[in-house]
Amino acid sequence: MPKLPKWLSEVGWRTVVGGALLGGIVHILFTLAVPFISKGHAYAKLRDALPANRMVVLPPPAPGREPLPFLTPDALYAMCRFDISVETLAVNVTMAHAGWTLSLHTPQGDNFYVMPAQQLRGSEIAITVVPEPDRSGEFIPTPRRIGAQGDQISSPSTEGIVMVRAPLKGLSWRAQTEAALRQASCRPVKRPQ
Amino acid sequence: MLSALAAGGGFTAWYMIEAGSRLSTRSSGPWVTWTAAGRPDADPYTRAHTVRNALLPISSTLEVTYRAKADSRGGRLHAGCEYVIVMPGLEGAWWSLAAFDSEGRLIQNAAERYAFTSDTVMREPDGRAVITLARDARPGNWLPIGGSSRVNLILTVQDPVYAAAVYEGGSTRPLPPIQRVACR
Repeated sequence: MPKLPKWLSEVGWRTVVGGALLGGIVHILFTLAVPFISKGHAYAKLRDALPANRMVVLPPPAPGREPLPFLTPDALYAMCRFDISVETLAVNVTMAHAGWTLSLHTPQGDNFYVMPAQQLRGSEIAITVVPEPDRSGEFIPTPRRIGAQGDQISSPSTEGIVMVRAPLKGLSWRAQTEAALRQASCRPVKRPQ
Repeated sequence: MLSALAAGGGFTAWYMIEAGSRLSTRSSGPWVTWTAAGRPDADPYTRAHTVRNALLPISSTLEVTYRAKADSRGGRLHAGCEYVIVMPGLEGAWWSLAAFDSEGRLIQNAAERYAFTSDTVMREPDGRAVITLARDARPGNWLPIGGSSRVNLILTVQDPVYAAAVYEGGSTRPLPPIQRVACR
């Protein structure tokens, strides 16, 4: 049996177990902390370019002008940075073609609501984004309800991003797609008293 | 000794966040997907991966996004090489194949072409689409990859049934191989 190096044979089993435990704790803490301490996340990259509670149609993705890394380039995007700490948010989108997608994201990138065009009976989407009921006693505790503004969507965070993705069928479709995308809107709405 | 083991804990966390593991990713040839990407109930590694890479993924309940850094023989995708990908019909699902550099930036090219989708690709009579990735122009569906040394491919498939099968670990249709044709 090969001899262990002297320094290694002097390490006690308690040190090994303690070190393994410490390594495990560091592993867990590092993994759990990254979403909260990372400064380069998507929301941080978009925050300065997007006014709060207003839909903005972004320029078509091009080299040096990518809104986010690895974002599908054959599409146009409209985004709205929402802040529902004071008011709720009304979102209206006309999904012009199959392949269009409306999605809502938290600052950590969680996609808590998504609606693709092809699953719809109609092409109009009207939703109201509200804080989660347990964070505000003002709302009924169901995740969705039908009202004047359509579905009510509970957001797990008071800030986040609304994204409308409109795939381009070709260059000749760009103007038409952009015009349809400009119909998308988000606006703050006073909370019911 | 203790500090080495603590550093090891940090390194393994970093590796599982950047590269993934069988706990959080699923592979099909060179294509790798984070199965819970975008889901509010995603595991901590997937959430950390999403934040660290500044991604804004659409939930894997609707679509699946694969990333390839290597060809089907394991070689790093490189701008100096030519590759062929034969996309199957994918049963009518919307898909997109895009080329980026290793940082997720689009690759500058005179043709201003950065991706093909199921809407824009030119198909063969049997529904397949042959896409050629190369620095110089090629006939058919040419996706330029010049100007950047390392290349990453992103394949997005929008199909809730397929996405559910990937998430639940069920059998899914195989993804197209990335065949290296030649290198300079």
